[in-house]
Amino acid sequence: MVDPTIRWKSRKKLNLLNTEYPRVDASAKVTGSARFSHDMRLPGMVYGRLVMIPASRATIESIDLSQALATPGVVLAELAEEDKDQVRYLGDDAVVAIVCGTSPETAQDGVRAVQIEWTPEDNMLISEEQISAPDAPKINRRGNLRQSGERGDAEKTVQALGSADVQVSATYSVPVQHHLCLETHGCVVDYNGGDEATVYASTQAVSGNPGSFARHLGLKSSQVRVVCQHMGGGFGSKFGIGLEGAMACRAARQLKRPVHLMLDRKAEFLMTGNRSGSRQVMRAGASKDGRIVALEVEAFKFGGTSGGSLPTPPYMYQVEEAYAKINTVHQALDGNRAMRAPGHPQASFAMESMVDELAYGIGMDPLEFRIKNLSDEAHHRQLRRVAKEIGWDVHPNRSGPGKKPLASGQRPAGAPLPPAGDHWKEGIGFGVSRWGGGGHGGARCEVRIDSDGSVTSSCAVQDLGTGSRTYVGTIVAEELGLGLNAVKARIGDSALPPGVASGGSVTTGSVAPAVQHAALLAREALEKKLEPVLGAEPGAYTFDKGRVFVTDDPKKSLSWQEACALLGRDPLVVTGKHQGKLADGGVHGSQAVRVAVNTRTGQIKVLDMVAVQSQGLTLNRLATKSQINGGMVGALSYALFEQRVLDADFGNLLSANMEDYKIAGAKDIPRMRALIDDDDMRPTVSGMAEGTGVPGAGAIANAVYNACGARVRHLPLTPDRVLEALKDA
Amino acid sequence: MKNFEMALPNSVDEAVGLLPKTLSDDRARLLAGGQDLLTEMKEYLVEPDLVVNLKSIPDLDGVVWASDGSLEIGALTTLASLEKDASIAAAFPALVQAAASIASPQIRSAATVGGNLNQRPRCWYYRSEDYPCLKKGGTECFSYYGKNRYNAILGGGPSYIVHPSDLAPALVALGAEVQLISPRGERVLTLEEFFVLPSEGDVLRETRLAADEVLTRIRVPAPAAGQRSIYLKFKERDAYDFALAAVALVLQTDGDKLASCRLVLGAVAPVPWRCTRTERKLAGRPLGEELVALAAQDALADAEPLSENGYKVPLTQGLIAEAFEALTI
Amino acid sequence: MDNPSAPLPSGQSPPDRISSESSGPSRRAFLGGSSAALASTTLASSAGVARARPQDGPRLTGLSKLTLTINGEKRSVEVEPRTTLLSLLRHRIDPPLTGAKEVCDRGNCGACSVMIDDQPAYACMTLAVDLAGREVRTVEGLGTLDDLHPVQAAFCEHDASMCGFCTPGFVVSTVACLEQEPEADPSRIRELLSGNLCRCGTYPHVFAAAETAQGMMAGGTLDAAGSREDKR
Repeated sequence: MVDPTIRWKSRKKLNLLNTEYPRVDASAKVTGSARFSHDMRLPGMVYGRLVMIPASRATIESIDLSQALATPGVVLAELAEEDKDQVRYLGDDAVVAIVCGTSPETAQDGVRAVQIEWTPEDNMLISEEQISAPDAPKINRRGNLRQSGERGDAEKTVQALGSADVQVSATYSVPVQHHLCLETHGCVVDYNGGDEATVYASTQAVSGNPGSFARHLGLKSSQVRVVCQHMGGGFGSKFGIGLEGAMACRAARQLKRPVHLMLDRKAEFLMTGNRSGSRQVMRAGASKDGRIVALEVEAFKFGGTSGGSLPTPPYMYQVEEAYAKINTVHQALDGNRAMRAPGHPQASFAMESMVDELAYGIGMDPLEFRIKNLSDEAHHRQLRRVAKEIGWDVHPNRSGPGKKPLASGQRPAGAPLPPAGDHWKEGIGFGVSRWGGGGHGGARCEVRIDSDGSVTSSCAVQDLGTGSRTYVGTIVAEELGLGLNAVKARIGDSALPPGVASGGSVTTGSVAPAVQHAALLAREALEKKLEPVLGAEPGAYTFDKGRVFVTDDPKKSLSWQEACALLGRDPLVVTGKHQGKLADGGVHGSQAVRVAVNTRTGQIKVLDMVAVQSQGLTLNRLATKSQINGGMVGALSYALFEQRVLDADFGNLLSANMEDYKIAGAKDIPRMRALIDDDDMRPTVSGMAEGTGVPGAGAIANAVYNACGARVRHLPLTPDRVLEALKDA
Repeated sequence: MKNFEMALPNSVDEAVGLLPKTLSDDRARLLAGGQDLLTEMKEYLVEPDLVVNLKSIPDLDGVVWASDGSLEIGALTTLASLEKDASIAAAFPALVQAAASIASPQIRSAATVGGNLNQRPRCWYYRSEDYPCLKKGGTECFSYYGKNRYNAILGGGPSYIVHPSDLAPALVALGAEVQLISPRGERVLTLEEFFVLPSEGDVLRETRLAADEVLTRIRVPAPAAGQRSIYLKFKERDAYDFALAAVALVLQTDGDKLASCRLVLGAVAPVPWRCTRTERKLAGRPLGEELVALAAQDALADAEPLSENGYKVPLTQGLIAEAFEALTI
Repeated sequence: MDNPSAPLPSGQSPPDRISSESSGPSRRAFLGGSSAALASTTLASSAGVARARPQDGPRLTGLSKLTLTINGEKRSVEVEPRTTLLSLLRHRIDPPLTGAKEVCDRGNCGACSVMIDDQPAYACMTLAVDLAGREVRTVEGLGTLDDLHPVQAAFCEHDASMCGFCTPGFVVSTVACLEQEPEADPSRIRELLSGNLCRCGTYPHVFAAAETAQGMMAGGTLDAAGSREDKR
C-alpha cells in the first residue's frame, strides 16, 4: 500500500530544496577546523607506516626488523605475514611489514631501517608480452588472459557491416587512472585495550565498516564505532578497510594504544585501486541516412589482479546489429576498484569517438547523427540545449574540420577566443551519459525535536563532498518550515541510525527519502500535539518561516518555539526509513566542449565546457552544480593528462607521485557551465554525479578532431599523439 | 628524510670549507631555497649528514645594476623577486618570463636563482631510489630502453636526462656568466660553459661546479641596443609543470634583416642547448617565413630521438617558430 | 601496461636488462654507495681576493629551540633540523594546527599552503629551522567560524569546497593572491592559484569565490557574503 502523504513538496512550494544554498559544513572546511581522519590526534597515539617491496614479482629471501626495532622512537616493527616469501603483484601484496613510531618521522626512520633481501623475478607480468609468455606464471586462477563476456550475433553483425554504406575500423584505448584521493587511505584506531574501540576512518561506508575493523581488533561489531565526519575523497576506492585498516587494528591491538595509519602518497598510488584501462577494437557501419547498422567490438580490460570494468557495448547508442566480445587481461598489479561510474568513461570514450567517426564518414552533422541514434528524448532536448549554449549553430566546422575560427565579432556571446595565429584551430565535440542513481533500502534517519525548539536529524551516512550532511538537515528544515541552519545534521558515525555505502550515486536516493520520511513523521507527531491547542486535525497544518498555522485558518498559529514547548519534558523522536517512491533512478546528461588545438605543437586548450544534467528534484542546486562541474573537470583531466606509467621490465611504477601523475590544475580549467535539466519534473530524488564524468573525454577528443582533423584514439590526448594524428589529418 | 646536522655558516669561505672534496661524496649538501634538495632528501636520493645552509650568509641575495647596464643577481635571489622586478622585465624579458614560468607561486617564493641553475634532473628513473641509474653512480641510463617521453633528443648519452631549469636557457641566451667560489678562490665561467654534457664531464653532475664550490652570483651583460628576447615554455599541463620543450631567443634586427641572435633550447638536452650553428646561419638573413622555417629546421637537424620522444622535434620546431614570430613579425 | 593501446614495450629491451648487479638488494645497496673517486674538475681559479673571514656560524643538531610567530602569536618549538614547517604545525605544537594538509609532501599539490612573511609557501617544502624570527600565517589565522575572512566567506557562498581536503590550501593561496595583487584579473588569479590541486573539481567555484572576495576586500563589505545564511 502506498501512503499518499509520503511525498516531496511540490516544486513551487519549496523554500530551501531546489534552491542554491551553501553547504552547512562549508565554514568548517574553509577555516581548517573540519577534522579529517588524517588530523586526529589522540593521547599516546603512534604513527604507522607500511614497508613495501617496489616490484610486481619478487622472491623474498629475508626480512630483518632488528635495526628497525632499535631505531629511536620506534615502538613496533612486525612482518605483515609470517613466512611470506613472495611478492605476487605490485599492490597490497608488496607490503611486507609495518612499523610504528611516536612521530611520523621516527616511523619513517624505522621503515628505512628494515633490511630486506629480495630478488626480482624474471617475468614481472606487466606487459601483454610478459603475461602471455608461454611459461608465464598465472596471476589469476583462471589464467592471465580470458574471455569474460560475449553478447550478440557475430555472423549477423558481420553481414550488417557488409551492407553498411560506410564502415569504420578503429582501436580506442584508455590508460589506467588513479583515484588520487587527496586524503590517502587509512584510519586512526582509538584502542587502549578493553572491549571498546573507535575508528576514525576515511571511508565511503561508515555503517558497513565496524564489522571489518572489529574482526581485526578481536572485538564484536557492536563494540566498534566508526567515525568519519569529513573525508578527503574516495571516488569509489574507499569501501573496505583495506590492508592498511587491518594492519592499523593489529598494531593497536598489540600496543594497546591509538594507531594513526594513513598511507603515504607512494603507497596510495601502489595499493588503493584504480580505474581499469581498456582497449576496444571496433568495426562499425552506418547507412547514408544516418543509422548505425552494425557494431563489432573486441574489448580488453586491464584491471590488474581484478577483472576490470566495462559495460558490454554498444554503449548508449542504438545499433541495429551488434556483437561484442570482452576479454579480461590480468597483470601483476594492484586490482581495479570502483571509480566514478566504473567502466563507463572507458566505454563512452570509444563509443562517442566511433559515433563521431561514422557521422563524419557519412557526411552528417555529428549532432544530428547522435540525436538520430539515441532513443531517449531527454538526450535529444539536452543535446540541442548544449549545442546552443556552446555555439554549434554558428560554428564553421559543423561539417568537418579545417575552417578558420570565427572572429571575435561573430562569435556566440561569451565564447572564449582561441589564441591568435593560423596554427590554432577550433572545434566542438559532444557526448552523452545515462546513469542509474536512484536508491535502495536500508537507510534510517532519526529526527528529534526538543521542547526548546532544537531539531536534530541523524543518519550514519558519510559526506564525500557531495553535500549529504547538508540535506540530512535541510530536508527536515524544509518540511518543518525552518531556516537553513535550524536543523542540526549529525552524520558520519556508525552509532547513528544506519546510512548506506556511497557508491553508484545512490546515496541521495537512499538516504534522502529516509530523511524525508522522518521529517514527515516528525511533522505528523508534532501536529498531534498541536491538535488540542489549535483545534485542527493532523494534516491540516502549514509549517512556514518558523511558524505553524492551521492551513484554513492562518490566524490559529504558534511560533516554532511555542509549538515545541508543547512537547514538555519528552523530546519527540521518530525514525524514518527508505521510501521507494521518493527516489527514482535513470538520469541523463549531455555535454558539449569547445577546444583550440595548436597544430604546430599539438597543444590542446579546452576553452568551454557545458553540461546539462537531469536528476528529478534537486535538493541543492549549488551543490549539484559543484558535482556537475567536478565531473567535467575529472573528465578533462582524464582526457588530457592522466596516465599510470610503469616500467614493465622492473615491475615498477614510475608515476607514483603527483608530479609525474598529472591531474588538471587551475590553469587548465576552461569556462564551465553546469546546467540543471529542469524539464525532468519527476517528484523524486536521485544522485547523478557519476554520470557527469562520463562523456567529457569523448567530447574533448571529438572536439579536437572537429578542430583540426586529428583523430586521437588513445587517452590521454597528449601533444605527441595530437602531432602524430595530424600527420593523417 | 634522514636527520642531519645543519651548519649556518657566516661566510662563503666557511661554507665551502664544509663541503666534501669529491662529487660522489654526498655527506654534505648545500641548501639554498631547498625546493629541489628537500625532494631529493625526502626520496633518499641524497642522505647528507651535514646540510650547509647558505641563507645564513649575508649579501648573497638581491640584484644590483652596474653602471654599464649589466645586472648582477645574487644566487639566493628568489624567483619571485626576479619575476616581479619591472626593470629586469624591461631589460631582459626572457629572464622574467622564464622565472614566471617556473613551478608555482609557492615554489617561486622560496626557490632561488642559484638553486634553479643547480637543480638536479627530473627523470623518473633518477627520482626513484629504486633505480641505480648513471646519475646516481649506477651503470645504466634506464630511460634509454625505458620510458623516455620526457628525455633528451639532443646531446644525450650516456645519460639522457634533460636539464630542467627554465632560467638556464634564458640566461645562456642572454650571455650570462656565473661566479663560483671554492677554497681555491673564485672563478668566472660563462653559464654556457658552466653546464656540461654527460659525455663531456662527470655524469654525476650537470655542471662544472666542483664538489666544494658554490655558485654565488650571476652577471647578465647589458642588453645590446635594440635587443629583444623571449622565453617560451611548453608544458604538458598548463598548471605547474616542467617543460616538454622550451625556447629562449635573444635577437637584434637591422632593418628587415636579422642582425644576430642567440637561440637556446630547454628541456630537450642534458644542458641548455645552444644552437650556435643555426645562429650563424641566420645572421644577416631577411626576416620572414623563410628565416623562421630555416631556424626551426636547422636547430633540430641533429636531433636523435629515443623510442618515445620523437614528438619533441616538431614540438620544439613549433616553439622556435613562435619565438621568432613573436620577436620579428 | 599503462597504455594498452600503445605499442608494447617493444623488443628493443635486451632480455638481460635486469642484470645480476641490479637485483633487489644490490640495487638498493647501489644507492647509498659511491662510485670511483673522480678527478677534480676545477678549472684554474682566478686570483682569489683575500676576504676577511668572520667567525664560523653555529651548527644545529638534534632538537633545538626555535622561536617564530604563528598566526600572530610568538611560539617556541623544539624541532630537529629536518622538521618541516608542515610537521611542526601538525605534530609539534599543542594543540596542533591541522588545517594545512599533507597530501603530496613534495611541493606538488598546495594542500599545505601557508604564508611566510606574507609570501605563499608550501609548508612541506620549508624547513622549520629557516623560520627563526619569521611570521607564519596558516588557514587558522585568517578567520574563525564566527568571523570569516572575506575569502573564506566567499568560498562558502560559492561552494568552493567539496570533500574539503584541498580547501584550506586554496583559501590560503587565494588570500595570498589577493593581498599581493588586489587587481589580479581572472587569468592572473588562475596563474596565482596554479600551485594548488583539487581532485573533486571545485576549480570554477574557487575562481568565482576569488573574484567575489576580491570585490569584498576592495570594497570593505565583509559581510556581503557572510550574512547570506542569515537572510534565509
